[in-house]
Amino acid sequence: MSDTADRVRKVTADVLKVDLGRVTDEARFVEDLGAESIQSIELIAAYEEEFDIEIDEEEGTAVKNVGGAIEFIQNVLDNQ
Amino acid sequence: MDIVASFKKQAQARDLSIVLPEGSDERIIAAARRIKDEGIANPIVLGKPEKIAEAAKQAGVKIDDITTLNPREADNLDQYAQAYCQGRDDITVPVAKRMVMKPLFYGGMMVAQGQAHAMVAGAANATATVIQAGVLTVGFAQGINTPSSFFLMVIPDFQGEKDKPFIYADCAVNIDPTEEELAEIALASAASGAKLLGTEPRVAMLSFSTRGSASHAHVDKVTKALAIARERDGSLAIDGEFQADSAIVPRVAAKKVKDESAVAGKANVLIFPDLDAGNICYKLTQYMANAQAIGPFLQGFAKPISDLSRGASIDDIVNTAAITLAQA
Repeated sequence: MSDTADRVRKVTADVLKVDLGRVTDEARFVEDLGAESIQSIELIAAYEEEFDIEIDEEEGTAVKNVGGAIEFIQNVLDNQ
Repeated sequence: MDIVASFKKQAQARDLSIVLPEGSDERIIAAARRIKDEGIANPIVLGKPEKIAEAAKQAGVKIDDITTLNPREADNLDQYAQAYCQGRDDITVPVAKRMVMKPLFYGGMMVAQGQAHAMVAGAANATATVIQAGVLTVGFAQGINTPSSFFLMVIPDFQGEKDKPFIYADCAVNIDPTEEELAEIALASAASGAKLLGTEPRVAMLSFSTRGSASHAHVDKVTKALAIARERDGSLAIDGEFQADSAIVPRVAAKKVKDESAVAGKANVLIFPDLDAGNICYKLTQYMANAQAIGPFLQGFAKPISDLSRGASIDDIVNTAAITLAQA
């Protein structure tokens, strides 16, 4: 889990161009990290590339904060 | 002839293709079959083969002669990924490749790269996602940075004129546009009108005031938007601010608009100051004047991309395809 979590945080910080320190589990993509809607779909693609997984856009964009993304991606990885 | 039928006929006379990225939806497959059978265009359906086959089975149609394509397996993903990244330094090619593997984005790239004339999606995707795909693939038309939408309204009896078409905008996307955004909505709507009205677009910037008859920040927003639009396109017949009657009724225009106007009393593209006005007016027109409300269609993109409502019927999809192709 912690490895997944670290990688999710790093990708998030890179794509949204924010300090890694701001990417806490509670941080919401739009409200706290300033993601615009266009970035959110590319953030999903960046997670897909990092973990070599496929994420459904609808399910992906329903995830609102970093903790949720970590949990979502871990779930996808566990079910592979 | 019914206006939608006339757009179908126009499309039949041209050799056009349309990409439908939501191939796992049975309505899309049934619509693709109709688009092919009626000779409106060559449909290109995107999706995983097993999903498309399942949807075709559900729809009860054969698709042997319809072009289908699985974006994840496409042999031009690298080329599309490169094109997707062009002019951007904030995305890597591998991430871009992941983007263009998504049917909505692959479809958008097909239109951007000239492999299809138009894209229709939204039966299985949110409007916001279709807009994102449009912005990130075909991009905006020159001078436009605001995605917006319009309705084609057909009024059965307008002041004695039968089946009179109007463009109404924006009735679906921008809630409270700034003056800059409102100007862009007007410019995009003029372009839509030029393709769909069969006559020169005459754009009215609507307000509760005519030529300064009222003073308010809301009126100022409309007059500023008008000035911006005129600055961007000096050749356009655009005028305001007008109350709705000054815009469309010659008799009222003659009374309220004393100076020369190419638009007053004869507007056919109506630009509402915000979404409250636009959405309310299109629905009132639809039900109180028994008008046909066709849309909403997205506008402002460099190439035609349209959104469907989630509840779209097969008829809706076929009609949307025909009207989207009329803009190609």
